[in-house]
Amino acid sequence: MTLQPITLYGHGPTRNPIKVAVLLEELGLPYVIKSIDYEKELKFEPYISINPNGRLPAIEDPNTGVKMFESGAICEYLVETYDTEGRLTYTTSPEKWLLKSWLHFQMSGQGPYWGQLFWFKFFHEEKNLTSAITRYENEAKRVIGVIDAHLTKKGGRDEVRYLVGDKITYVDLAWLTWNTVIDMMFPEGTWDWKTEVPAFAKWHLAMLERPAVQKTLGLEAFQKK
Amino acid sequence: MTSPNITLYTAQTPNGIKASIALEELGLPYKVRQLSFKTNEQKEPWFLEINPNGRIPALTDTFTDGQTIRVFESGSILQYLVSRYDPNHLISFPPGSRESIEVTNWLFFQNAGLGPMQGQANHFHRYAPEKIPYGVARYQEETKRLYGVLDLHLADGNKEYLVGGKCTIADISTWGWVAAAGWAGVDIDEFPALKAWEERMLARPGVEKGRHVPSPHTMKEMIKDKAQMEKTLAEAKEWIKPPAGHEAK
Ligand SMILES: N[C@@H](CCC(=O)N[C@@H](CS)C(=O)NCC(=O)O)C(=O)O
Ligand SMILES: N[C@@H](CCC(=O)N[C@@H](CS)C(=O)NCC(=O)O)C(=O)O
Repeated sequence: MTLQPITLYGHGPTRNPIKVAVLLEELGLPYVIKSIDYEKELKFEPYISINPNGRLPAIEDPNTGVKMFESGAICEYLVETYDTEGRLTYTTSPEKWLLKSWLHFQMSGQGPYWGQLFWFKFFHEEKNLTSAITRYENEAKRVIGVIDAHLTKKGGRDEVRYLVGDKITYVDLAWLTWNTVIDMMFPEGTWDWKTEVPAFAKWHLAMLERPAVQKTLGLEAFQKK
Repeated sequence: MTSPNITLYTAQTPNGIKASIALEELGLPYKVRQLSFKTNEQKEPWFLEINPNGRIPALTDTFTDGQTIRVFESGSILQYLVSRYDPNHLISFPPGSRESIEVTNWLFFQNAGLGPMQGQANHFHRYAPEKIPYGVARYQEETKRLYGVLDLHLADGNKEYLVGGKCTIADISTWGWVAAAGWAGVDIDEFPALKAWEERMLARPGVEKGRHVPSPHTMKEMIKDKAQMEKTLAEAKEWIKPPAGHEAK
C-alpha cells in the first residue's frame, strides 16, 4: 500500500502541531506541513471547515478522506488507522484504556495550563502579574510531580519507564512536545527539575534522544520565524 | 457483555456529573463514592492509586479479565463506558465511522479547551485572592469565543445535538459546563442555539437523573439567586485555596 502524504496544518514553533508531527514521523507516515497564517487564514474559510475552532493543528488524510481537528483526537486516529501492529500503542486491555486516561490528562491538564504560564510569563504585556504566574508555575510543577510519582512507582528512578505498560507509546510522545519547554518555564537557578523529579527527567531525556523526535523538533517548518 | 461492577468517585461539579449522566443514559448500575474537597480527600494516597492526578471523576470496574481496572479523566471515562457498555450505540456511533471521529473531535474540544478555559474564568472571576481584571477578561473572552464556536456549529443546519442528530458523549461532556455559564460570568442568552441545546439536554431523563449525583445540581437556580451564590462562593473558596505550604498539591 503506498500512502499519499497527510497534510498537517501548523504554524512555526507552536506546540500542538509538533505533537502530531512527532507521531507521524515515528510511524513513518508521509506528510506535508502547511503553515497557516494567523491573521488571514486561521479563523476563516476554508480552514474553519476543517477546524471550526480556528486553532492548530488539523489534518487532512487523502488516503481515507478524513479531515479532523484536536491533537489528541488526531493521535488516536493515527494509531488506530496506521499502527495496526501496535508499535506505539496497546490494543490489549487494560493498557488501551489507561492510554486514554493519560492522553486526556495530557490534553486537558498539561497543554492548557502550561500554555497559560507561557502567556503570562512571556507574551502578556504586563509582566508583573506575579500571582497569576505563580498560579501556573505551581500547577506545572504539580503536574510534573504527578508524572514523576507515577514513573517512580514503576522503578523510573533507576531506569527509564513509560506511562503505560513496559514500552514507549504515542501517549508518552504526546507529553513530550510540551515537556520540551521546561527549560523556558524553569530557567537555570529557579527549579532544579533534573534532581527534584529524577524519574520524570529520565523519561523526558530518553525520549528527546529518539531519532524521529530529534528530526521532527529540528524541522525548518517548526522553527521561530 | 460482562456485567458492570462500577464505582464512581465524584463530587457535584461540571466534570463529575459527566460520568453520572453517561451512566444514567446507558442505564447502568453503579455505586457512588463522594469525595470531600473540604478535607482534600481527592489527594489522599488511597485515591491517588485510582487517579494519580488527585482529581475527580474517576471510576473503578471489574475488567473482562476479572481484575479491577481504574479509569481517570472524564473524557477517558466516557470513551471507556461507550466502548464497553454501548453496543447499541445509544450515546455513541460505531467505532471508526465518520460520526464517531467527529464525536471525538468535540470531546477533546471540551476537555482540552472549554473546560480548562471556563475553569480559569471561574478562578479569576470568583476565587482569585487578588483581583486581576486582565485575567477575568482574558478567560471570559476565550470562554465566549468557544461558546460562539458551539453556537455556530449548532445553528448551522439547526442541529439538535453536536453530532449526527443524537445525544452522544460529546454533548454529555459539554452540558455541565454550559449549564454553569453564569458562574463564569458569561451570559448564555448571547448564544441562542447553544441555550436551546442546553435546555434540550436538560429535558432528557438521563441528564436529569445523572446531574443530581452525588448531591443535587443547583447550579442553574443558584446563578439566579444572589444570596445563594455568595454562600456557595464562600464554601468553594475554602477548598480551592491551597493550605499554606501546599500550593502545588
Ligand atoms: N480534565 C479533568 C479535570 C478534572 C477536574 O478539574 N476535577 C476537579 C473537580 S471538577 C477536581 O477534582 N478538583 C480538585 C482539586 O483540584 O484538588 C477531567 O475532565 O476529568
Ligand atoms: N486546583 C483547581 C481547583 C478548582 C477546580 O478543580 N476547578 C475545576 C472545575 S470544578 C476546573 O476548573 N477544571 C478544569 C477542567 O475541567 O479542565 C484550580 O485552582 O483551578
